[in-house]
Amino acid sequence: MIAIHDLVKRYGQFTAVDGVSLDVQPGQIHGFLGPNGAGKTTTLRMIAGLLKPTSGSVAVNGHDMAQEPEQAKASLGFIPDRPFIYEKLTAGEFLRFHGGLYGMNGNGIGDRVREMLELFELGRWENELVESFSHGMKQRVVMCAAFLHRPRAVIVDEPMVGLDPRGARLIKDVFRTMSARGVALLMSTHTLEVAQEMCDRISIILKGRIIASGTVPEIRAMGDRHDDQLTSVFLKLTGGSALQEIDEIV
Amino acid sequence: MTRAFPYLLLPHLWASRNRANRRERGDMSRAILFGGVAAAVCAALYEGSFWLTGQLADYAELGDYLLRIGLSWLFLTFLSFLAFSGVVTALSAFFLADDLRLLLVAPVATRRLFHARFLRTLIQSSWMVVIFVVPVLVGVGRARCAGLGFYATALLTVIPFAVIPVAVGTAVTLLLVNTFPARRARDLLMLMGLLFAASLVVVLRMIRPEQLLRVESLPDVTDFFATLQSPITPLLPSFWAGETLFASLSGGHDLLHAAALWTTAMAAVVLLTAAGERWYFAGFSRSQEAPKARFTRFRGIDTLACWLPLSTVRRQLLVKDTKIFLRDVSQWSQLLLLLALVLLYLYNFRVLDLQRIPYMSGFIKNVYAFVNLGMAGFVMATVTVRFVFPAVSAEGAAFWIIRTSPVRLRDFLWSKFWSGLVPVLVLTELLTVAANEFLGVDPFVKVAAALAILCMSFALVGLGVGLGARYPRFGADPSQVAGSYGGVAFMVQAVLFVLVMIVLVGWPASLYVVRHVRGLPLTAAQQLLAAACTIAGIAISVFVWLASMRSGVAALERMSD
Repeated sequence: MIAIHDLVKRYGQFTAVDGVSLDVQPGQIHGFLGPNGAGKTTTLRMIAGLLKPTSGSVAVNGHDMAQEPEQAKASLGFIPDRPFIYEKLTAGEFLRFHGGLYGMNGNGIGDRVREMLELFELGRWENELVESFSHGMKQRVVMCAAFLHRPRAVIVDEPMVGLDPRGARLIKDVFRTMSARGVALLMSTHTLEVAQEMCDRISIILKGRIIASGTVPEIRAMGDRHDDQLTSVFLKLTGGSALQEIDEIV
Repeated sequence: MTRAFPYLLLPHLWASRNRANRRERGDMSRAILFGGVAAAVCAALYEGSFWLTGQLADYAELGDYLLRIGLSWLFLTFLSFLAFSGVVTALSAFFLADDLRLLLVAPVATRRLFHARFLRTLIQSSWMVVIFVVPVLVGVGRARCAGLGFYATALLTVIPFAVIPVAVGTAVTLLLVNTFPARRARDLLMLMGLLFAASLVVVLRMIRPEQLLRVESLPDVTDFFATLQSPITPLLPSFWAGETLFASLSGGHDLLHAAALWTTAMAAVVLLTAAGERWYFAGFSRSQEAPKARFTRFRGIDTLACWLPLSTVRRQLLVKDTKIFLRDVSQWSQLLLLLALVLLYLYNFRVLDLQRIPYMSGFIKNVYAFVNLGMAGFVMATVTVRFVFPAVSAEGAAFWIIRTSPVRLRDFLWSKFWSGLVPVLVLTELLTVAANEFLGVDPFVKVAAALAILCMSFALVGLGVGLGARYPRFGADPSQVAGSYGGVAFMVQAVLFVLVMIVLVGWPASLYVVRHVRGLPLTAAQQLLAAACTIAGIAISVFVWLASMRSGVAALERMSD
């Protein structure tokens, strides 16, 4: 559903993403992990059509993002890490506007908007201005928008930032349900527990390159010792052993 | 360690220093343009005050009396400006600034924070007044051959004079924020301020000040000023400032009024600090509360948009842009000021007395029609740079929504074009048609002007939208966007375009009018030239319109590189 091949992004001499290839199948939740500055957000922004790759290709639902951007985007939902939306629109107006951008029209849009707002527990906020929402509520509005047009694939950048435990649980349930319905999800996260709990496959990126890819048990098996958690293997792969020096410094 | 309150201003100074050190594209042209305009205004103020003071010297005691009252009135005008500016600036500096949350969680005493914010408010509210008052006072001083004592007195007068109204304005803000939510208070203030400014402009014009300039009405001028003196005037700081400066100008000293200024300023700061310690944090806390915002739903816009023959995407973009514009008081309220200026403009044509030149009135009327066309062009350029040029930037940090949706950037930009074109075209066509109607110009000139405005609207709105897409500033508010490099570049190109259009339309039309007045038909060569000029005008407009839009679309597409 999401197929990226040999994706490269260079800023002058600096290579932010260096030959990344990924394939996210329908119904799969694919975790995209890596330390800060590894190239996760740049990769996701290229898949979403926000950044033009220096080379390589992105295809969503069989449509090449460079050749058929409208068709590719029509199948895609995007949830950014920072939920900037129009502050002077109500949640309902924003979602109707967003639906309109995806060609949704007529009486059905109102029902669909209410359905999504109810799903994300924002039903009673439909007619309130977005400017009065908290960060977590704005994040949920963006998620409503991402799923509103029934996308075939969804790109999620740090989904749990700013969400309370109830909100985080809700998002996990929604993602699982969408996955069960055949939606492909590519999700970047720093929360390894979330990745371990939810993802079918995981890719780890470091300095712009994919350094490990596989199912959760396969990734876990890359660690030195038997460990139920991903943390130790993540630290091993991404050079986190320096953390051990912290004790001495602090 | 407790540092003195100016320490809290360091981030602003450092930010200014960093901004000055970091050269951006267009900094030099912007500096030349704005610096040139400021220098020209200052030079005009200096020359004007120098000339007027020199003229008044011819009237001996009457001249002195008028100068004295004039100084008092000058300061009274600044007093009201400073008080209002103080209210608005204090609201932002004390309650809405982003860095307040950082400072309020730090171990900084409220009193120090309050002093730092007051100093910032004082500087931000009064710098413009100081820039305008300096050339005026230097002009007055030079005309009266005043010594250095006058300039020293001026400095010692302006400082407490600025402190008093800004302190009062800050106190009003403190009261307002403890009564209303801060954002609501800002909207109310903005609206009130603009209504006040708009009505002031209209009222000042309606009293027809040009009549006061006639020599035969000089005794009336004296009476006019005398009647404006009310019993409370001597109680105002503006009167004290005027008296102090006039005494110094005459070689004497007015210590009583100077002392009144300084003691009142100090008392205002002491009382304000006490009020700040008592109510500032309570007000700030109130401003952080986010009660449900009150707003208008504008359901009519949705209904109206359904009737328009537009695609779903364009309809939704139009509805979104319209609602966001109408819900932002700081945006639409500026239209009120514009409306007042337009009324004033039309009123000027209404009262224009061309019959005083009986043999030339027919020709002069038609010349005025082209002056009107030029003015309408400049109004169009101003409205476009303020409301249409920032259209792409107005998407702000939410632009990712458009870029990740299956909407072609071409469609997005053209939607911005059409929603900008309709109001600009209607406004300027109405302006031109109404003004030409008041003037009673030749029907041919009326049609030519209306057609020229049509062409100019397409070209200037296209230029504004296109350049707005090439030089977007997503983080800035629309007025900042209008003053950015792209905005200045737009204004320069727009003015050049308007001048070219006036030449291309004005020359054949005036030729026709001259021949028509003399009862002569146009020769074949003249007809050919007139047609060539008309075609050239239309061709240039279409080229500017389409080339700008194409360049804007290309710039948006390059954004993902």
